[in-house]
Amino acid sequence: MKRFSLTLTYLTFFIISAVLLGLVLYAPLPALIESLASPEIRFAILLSLVTSVVSTFICVIIAVPVAYSLARYQFFGKRITTLALTLPLTLPPLVAGIALLLFFGTTPWGKALEQAGFMVIFTPLGIIVAEVFVNLPYMIRILRSAYTTINPRYEYVAKTLGCTDTGAFLQVTLPMARPGLVTGSVITWSKAMGEFGAVLMLAGATTMRTETLPIALYLNISAGDLDLAVAAATILILISLVTLCVVEYFDRGVNVF
Amino acid sequence: MLRIESLSVTLGEFSVKDVSLEILPDEYFIILGPTGAGKTVLLETIAGIHTPDSGRIFLGDREITSIEPHLRNIGMVYQDYMLFPHLTVEENIAFGLRQKKIPNDEQRTRIEEISAVLEIGHLARRYPGSLSGGEQQRVALARALVMRPEILLLDEPMSALDTRTRDRMRMELSRIRKLTGTTIVQITHHLDDVFALADRIAIMREGRIIQAGETSDVFLHPSDAFVAEFLGIGNIIRGNSSRSGNIVQITTRNGPYFYAVSNIFGEVIATLHAEDVILSQAPFVSSARNCLYGTVSEVVPFGSTVRIILDVGFPLTALLTRESCRDLNLEPGSRVYATFKASAVHVIPVTQQ
Repeated sequence: MKRFSLTLTYLTFFIISAVLLGLVLYAPLPALIESLASPEIRFAILLSLVTSVVSTFICVIIAVPVAYSLARYQFFGKRITTLALTLPLTLPPLVAGIALLLFFGTTPWGKALEQAGFMVIFTPLGIIVAEVFVNLPYMIRILRSAYTTINPRYEYVAKTLGCTDTGAFLQVTLPMARPGLVTGSVITWSKAMGEFGAVLMLAGATTMRTETLPIALYLNISAGDLDLAVAAATILILISLVTLCVVEYFDRGVNVF
Repeated sequence: MLRIESLSVTLGEFSVKDVSLEILPDEYFIILGPTGAGKTVLLETIAGIHTPDSGRIFLGDREITSIEPHLRNIGMVYQDYMLFPHLTVEENIAFGLRQKKIPNDEQRTRIEEISAVLEIGHLARRYPGSLSGGEQQRVALARALVMRPEILLLDEPMSALDTRTRDRMRMELSRIRKLTGTTIVQITHHLDDVFALADRIAIMREGRIIQAGETSDVFLHPSDAFVAEFLGIGNIIRGNSSRSGNIVQITTRNGPYFYAVSNIFGEVIATLHAEDVILSQAPFVSSARNCLYGTVSEVVPFGSTVRIILDVGFPLTALLTRESCRDLNLEPGSRVYATFKASAVHVIPVTQQ
């Protein structure tokens, strides 16, 4: 058994490395640098960075209190709420994207928002909305599991020492949940950087307008410009690698999935 | 000091049912009971963590039933200490003072003071994760005491400690209490804590207080079979221990004495299981070192057994089967011999009471 499983492990490792290295080493270094410096890729990098950072920030702001209520309180409809909040985890992003498109494009609420100036269809703002929608469940799940591992008695003690409810949360539970917060943010951010399906549906794939890195990859492959596509892919691989390292470092007792 | 009137709380599977208690100023009050009796829920409700379904709580003259915990001035120490892991020892102790916006100078003085009392000054810059159980315990006590709480609640504060540390901590608690004059309510299932520390005790079961009163009273007159069985021990005898060969002689206040296997001298409390006392109509020769002559003062039936309370110069309880009781013809006024082994006596040093 040992020999068989080890052989298979090495084989899998070899295949994964070969496939990814093949992509990274596809273009000679000067060509890669040239592609990275092209206006289109530079725009895609910048747009991806801005939208992913903003959407991660929004996810954190929403998930910090929501995950807390799921972890600590009993309330009416908790099960169905939890289910709904977690459903997008297993939903194909493409489906999430089309649902968002229909919501903003056809429902009275969506139209009202459009009219109020909240334009999301085929706009960069749509990228952020799509990313938040798809990634919020991850952030909530990770934070909830981080809170659950913290004994509520820490807060009880803090309250006997003069903290209000909110004070105890901000000064004790939140700092203690820091590894979960960091892990969750990094995962959310990296997923936002790589989000394709939902963004494609809601924000479209317009060159130099809603062109994030994955969209750039898709557009350039479609147009046959392999060098630019590879440049975009290489950056996405690097981001994955960094994310994995950060998560491994901080992931102490935090259940990611 | 603290008065609880018909308090009821339900919290998942734990509950407190119609509990009334009065804790006196400067008292060391211990609540005993099996796991799941609702002891912790009771303490947490006193601290204000849970909202009672009914009943009222008074601290001094003030009703605190619906006052937020941070406005109650009640200290709490848990079994697992709950030291904030992201703060140093000093920051942990300062935590409450900061919330109350106590000026920095005074914070420093008060932290130094309490650190000196608990001998933890040298730990100030360390993080809780690097401390031993005993050290964490002291820091948790310091963090609560530095607030000068009107009342200090201790939830099984010593059960995570090894036996030696626990003995030391017990002395410590007694000393701290004398030094700070804090009223203390403690939960425990260690009888040694009761003997060494408690002024009064309450026995709790399934959310209710079954019996409360002076420690010696409760031990001598358990209100029902559960209390008797739970306490397990029939006898707590105060006396003075002095060397007698390889063992000690314990002399009670009124003069009668008995022997015990121990090396503790001075003021002590001796405990003896009621079932370890043999009663007989005539003295008999045996390996047991203690044989005392006395009068039966009470005969209390408890299920298949009978508790006999003797006066041998001090009250002594024996546990007999109904058959033995009938064979010996025991009734109040009967004269009998009580025999027990020196090694059956457990000796605990008295710190202060």
